[in-house]
Amino acid sequence: MTHPRRAASLVLAACVLVLCGCAARGPIMEPGSAIVELADTPFYPQEAHQCGPAALATVLGASHVAVTPEEMEQRVYLPGRRGSLQVEMLAAPRASARMGYQVQPELADITAQLDAGRPVLVLHNYGLPFWPRWHYAVVVGYDSPKEQLVLRSGKVQRQILSARNFMRAWDNADRWGMVVLKPGELPAAADKERYLEAAANFEPAAKPQDAWAAFDAAVRQWPDEAVARVGRGTASYRAMDYRAAAADYRAALQIDATQAGARNNLAMTLLEMGCVGEARRELDAIDASSLDSRMRDEVADTRKQIDGAHREACPAGAMP
Amino acid sequence: MIKPSKWRAAAVAVLAVAITNVGFLNAAQAGIVATNAIVRTDRDANMATIRDQLDRSEVKAQMEKMGVDAASVDQRIAALSDSELHSLAKQMQDAPAGGDAIAVIGVVFLVLLILELVGIIDIFKKA
Repeated sequence: MTHPRRAASLVLAACVLVLCGCAARGPIMEPGSAIVELADTPFYPQEAHQCGPAALATVLGASHVAVTPEEMEQRVYLPGRRGSLQVEMLAAPRASARMGYQVQPELADITAQLDAGRPVLVLHNYGLPFWPRWHYAVVVGYDSPKEQLVLRSGKVQRQILSARNFMRAWDNADRWGMVVLKPGELPAAADKERYLEAAANFEPAAKPQDAWAAFDAAVRQWPDEAVARVGRGTASYRAMDYRAAAADYRAALQIDATQAGARNNLAMTLLEMGCVGEARRELDAIDASSLDSRMRDEVADTRKQIDGAHREACPAGAMP
Repeated sequence: MIKPSKWRAAAVAVLAVAITNVGFLNAAQAGIVATNAIVRTDRDANMATIRDQLDRSEVKAQMEKMGVDAASVDQRIAALSDSELHSLAKQMQDAPAGGDAIAVIGVVFLVLLILELVGIIDIFKKA
């Protein structure tokens, strides 16, 4: 049985395995008996290169936002690249009052999101290292005993992939994946830095009450995190709830007294409340020499507003 | 002291052009520091403001060049944070662009064809 043809084919098979970055042996999925499938997840068979818009419409639909792939195309598709970029995929849900959150690069994190009832949008690379073929799909279920995943992918409503094949394509895409969150929802196994960054990126486009809900969830989860307090405070400020804003900024400064952004915003809040002297005192407490130019400009701007303000009666109870 | 003032003038000019061009508006009020600026861990935050404006116009230009219709460009840019704009500006040409399902099928076919040709599998031949 030493056909040269057979030998050649073995060599080729070996090459293919190496090129595809064959995974280590042993179980890939955490052993267990769990079988989960989010069968209600919508399905949008995609046209041509539209897997990005279709995948986004799928996860947004699962989060109760009714959008069509055609609408999402306007928000993420790049005709010149015949595809959609990850940065825009994460950003696009903001226009629908949803937050994109990048999951951790572990299969266990994907299954945790599914356990929590949230489908996971993933980037796959089915190409070769020197010829990448990028593709977005949505994981809607998994089967631990069989080590399989269920995806909405392209024109296939229930694509079944072995965990090994899934991981191969996911590894080659640097294990990128995301979920969309309704303001106030935390992802499963929430990572503090990832979540706060997602919430901070959500803030400018969000309605004050949505930003408030997003940061409020963070305050509950991580009560000792100053950034979460600042975010919730700023949402209250934008909703003109100055008393709540001041309380959150003060709480942030309790945690981290050097947080210049929190102190600047507290000064602005006090100014809005008519507490001009108190606002100036807060601003004077900022060590200007430690600030970068952007923050220095913000502080200078706040000072200008304080200097131009008329002295008003600071309402009783405005100060702690 | 010619140099610093020159830099300053250049920066002001760039900013003025960029701001009038794009006319973006952040939701946070003047004077309030956005949470983003606190989360952000920029090494060169001193150059950040100017850089952000440049990134913004760069991304806008590239999007238009890549065929996004003008009406959508501003909306799409408005959804992006400064650091997201920065990473887009740097790698819009070569960042992974998911969308190639048809080519995916092509690759699978190609691999199957090679395997078939060298005799590992036998799916294209008649029984």
